[in-house]
Amino acid sequence: MSDFHQQLLELQTFQENAQIRIETLGNFGVWRNQQKIEAKEWTRDKTIQLLQYLVSNRQRNALHKEKIMDGLWEDWNDRDFKVALHGINKVLEPERPSRTEAMFTIRQGVSYQINLDKVWIDVEALEKYIIIGNEALILDKAISKKAYKAALNLYKGSYLPNRVYEDWTSEEREKVQLLVLGTYITLAEITLKENPLESIRLAQNALAIDATWEDAYRIQMQAYILKGNRPQAIKTYMKCEVILEEEYGIAPLPETKKLLKEIEEIH
Amino acid sequence: MKKKQEQTASFMVRFNQQIFEENGESKIQWKGKISHVQNGDEKRFSDFNDALTFMQIRLGELTEEATKHQTSEEQESIINKSLSMWKTIKDVGPKVIRDTLKDPKKQFTNLQGEIQGKIMTIGEEISEKVQIDQWRNASRSDFNTIQKQIEMLSSEIKKVATKIDSIKNN
Repeated sequence: MSDFHQQLLELQTFQENAQIRIETLGNFGVWRNQQKIEAKEWTRDKTIQLLQYLVSNRQRNALHKEKIMDGLWEDWNDRDFKVALHGINKVLEPERPSRTEAMFTIRQGVSYQINLDKVWIDVEALEKYIIIGNEALILDKAISKKAYKAALNLYKGSYLPNRVYEDWTSEEREKVQLLVLGTYITLAEITLKENPLESIRLAQNALAIDATWEDAYRIQMQAYILKGNRPQAIKTYMKCEVILEEEYGIAPLPETKKLLKEIEEIH
Repeated sequence: MKKKQEQTASFMVRFNQQIFEENGESKIQWKGKISHVQNGDEKRFSDFNDALTFMQIRLGELTEEATKHQTSEEQESIINKSLSMWKTIKDVGPKVIRDTLKDPKKQFTNLQGEIQGKIMTIGEEISEKVQIDQWRNASRSDFNTIQKQIEMLSSEIKKVATKIDSIKNN
């Protein structure tokens, strides 16, 4: 079994068996031992906010308590933090004996982070699938497609949509959106010849996220031509032209214009 | 005292670069998107000055909101101080005019929207004074340049209006 296969399998197994699973894309939800945690268990919104903040900053080193508090709340005191952290640990590990270390949050002095070895998080898994997809792209396209598809299956909407007005969520939301856009386009490109209809659908999904994503229009034009639908290919160019003019006041790139010319020359 | 959240405006800016060949020459195109996190407004731009204007309008609204219970004199004074920090407006102003010459129809619509928005939010009296204050440091030659550019702009707008009319009639 190749390394890439092995990595995919490990990610899949982790998703299925992790004691704690956190979903942040399209909606926020936490599962403990495969059971969804009810909203009432959290008791306070600040507890959820702290968990979401730790998820948003999971790839940084352990975060100092004061930095976390400054990022989250304007008026805070030690008690707020302790109560919120206790709330997280209580919800994630209700049976944990007192005076024992928490398993899913790691504490180093006064710095804290999520234990990524034990907690499965959709955005973290999505990024790992994309990394496998990118690394396998030249060596093994089949693996690459499998990894990209697994990543896109996890994308159920934007990152923490109910916190869209909180600036500490913006960076992650933007990062995920760009990763997903890129993945839709790459997968649509490598699928184009064998399955143009699927490429059209993938490009459409990219356009649903960002209607000005020019690469997606080009892929759709190519796919329609492969399907023998010249009028639709030309219509797609027109759509692209209109949206770029409306949103940026610019024309499509020469590459897109050249493709149109090639399509127009087909009889 | 106002809460920190009410005194904060965060912006997320995305730039997208495209390098391409055209007529045997390498060219670069920048496209961007700016979002105001706290209210979700977005604007796409191909000229960064549009992004700056977007920010300035939101920051102006923030100052206006924070000072709405003060007297109009106090509010005016704070807005003027705030404006003086945005020195970039001096660069943005002429650039907006240049862009208007390049694409009068689009720029005219943008300006119209922005001016309308400002008038609605700040109020006529302050709005007029703010505009004068923005140009306080301009020299006589700056004014002459602006005057010439406005004349050119008017002539371009007339041409566009004629074109639009002819398109409508067709």
